[in-house]
Amino acid sequence: MLPKFPKILVYGLLVGGSLALIPPVAFARMRATPSPNRPIHIFYDMDFQPKFKAQAPNPLFADGRAMRPIADGAVARGEAYADAHMDEGVVEGQWAVTLPAQMEMSTATLERGQQRFNIYCSACHGYAGFGDGAVNKRAMELVANAAGPVNGTQWVAAKSLHDETTRNQPMGQLFNTITHGIRNMAGYGAQIPTQDRWAIAAYVKALQLSQDAPSAK
Amino acid sequence: MSRFLFPRWSNALLPFVLVVGAIAPLYVTLLVAYGFSPKTLEGQYQPVQPVPFSHALHAGKLGMDCRYCHNTVENAAHAAVPPTQTCMNCHTQIHRESPNLAKVRDSYVTGMPIEWIKVHKVGDYAYFNHAAHVTRGVSCVECHGRVDQMEVVHRAQPLSMGWCLGCHRNPVDHVRPPEAVFELWKDTTTTWSKDERLGLINRFDIHPNEYCSTCHR
Repeated sequence: MLPKFPKILVYGLLVGGSLALIPPVAFARMRATPSPNRPIHIFYDMDFQPKFKAQAPNPLFADGRAMRPIADGAVARGEAYADAHMDEGVVEGQWAVTLPAQMEMSTATLERGQQRFNIYCSACHGYAGFGDGAVNKRAMELVANAAGPVNGTQWVAAKSLHDETTRNQPMGQLFNTITHGIRNMAGYGAQIPTQDRWAIAAYVKALQLSQDAPSAK
Repeated sequence: MSRFLFPRWSNALLPFVLVVGAIAPLYVTLLVAYGFSPKTLEGQYQPVQPVPFSHALHAGKLGMDCRYCHNTVENAAHAAVPPTQTCMNCHTQIHRESPNLAKVRDSYVTGMPIEWIKVHKVGDYAYFNHAAHVTRGVSCVECHGRVDQMEVVHRAQPLSMGWCLGCHRNPVDHVRPPEAVFELWKDTTTTWSKDERLGLINRFDIHPNEYCSTCHR
């Protein structure tokens, strides 16, 4: 049989014990809840060093970029102008109908083209090139909104690559369109390397053939 | 002057003192280990970005490939935040008057960068290489979580050294075929059997090491 403890001691212990539960619960909540008030650095170690990493800010420059934009006329390594075929899709003043000599028409090239097409083009043109990509569909919905186009959206349906005009375009012209864009389509010259753009153009030709195969073949 | 006498209940108090005295250091130790761990202090970081870009919409609903915007990820250590031009590939037309996109349009006109806030920052002494991981079958989802379901991106993993080593010591639970690296909705351990993943480890000669200089240079 326990002797009678003073009330203050008993309650103090109970309250103290209950309070001791608060920190673990608070930590558990922190671990489970996204918050802008993190990360919390207790020891800085060398987490923040006086150096500039990729895409970091640098207040010394007026535009705040540590990475400097390419100066006019500068050519990056590996991006020198090769020839009219490779860089412009033109052979003797006409659109090229083949891949440039530096590349080979092979399964590997077409598979690379397919992969890149699915990344960069399928959003609007759709995986099979019928102009039925998810971005295109959403844009059409935004335009067709009952109360008027949402936020002033304007959209011309993405082109089916199997249309008569597009289907008959030479590979060099497709390459040119990918590079510089056309009408409402932006150019992808800065976003996709040259050889990948050629691979995409070759794959588009293959896609077009798949929907327009001559019956004799 | 009367002498102080311990009250009778103080004898019965002794065992309680011993128990509390034994638990208290344990409590403090566990609390520090739990509460000051990177998962609590650094996980779930969710800054408010200058533009309310939704990965859930773009990468999730519209199904755009991660590489459409983060197009350096396969070739460079740094997975670039895209230039404003990439946003404007579509947003010259879609939502072109949206107030949410005001900063994007300003950036497009002035050439000044949008000041996105870095969510996944490791210490400046750690050199993570994206290309080395994604080209050998470590999916984005292993470190970044289901970004395709995040309205606002937050840190899904603590990005601590212990966490990095967890995978370097047990890569088999974190590799998948390289062609599925960007398919965030596929769960690594349930989509591919352990044998398949062991096969990948052999095929790509994946032996992540634990030398200091692997990450710290």
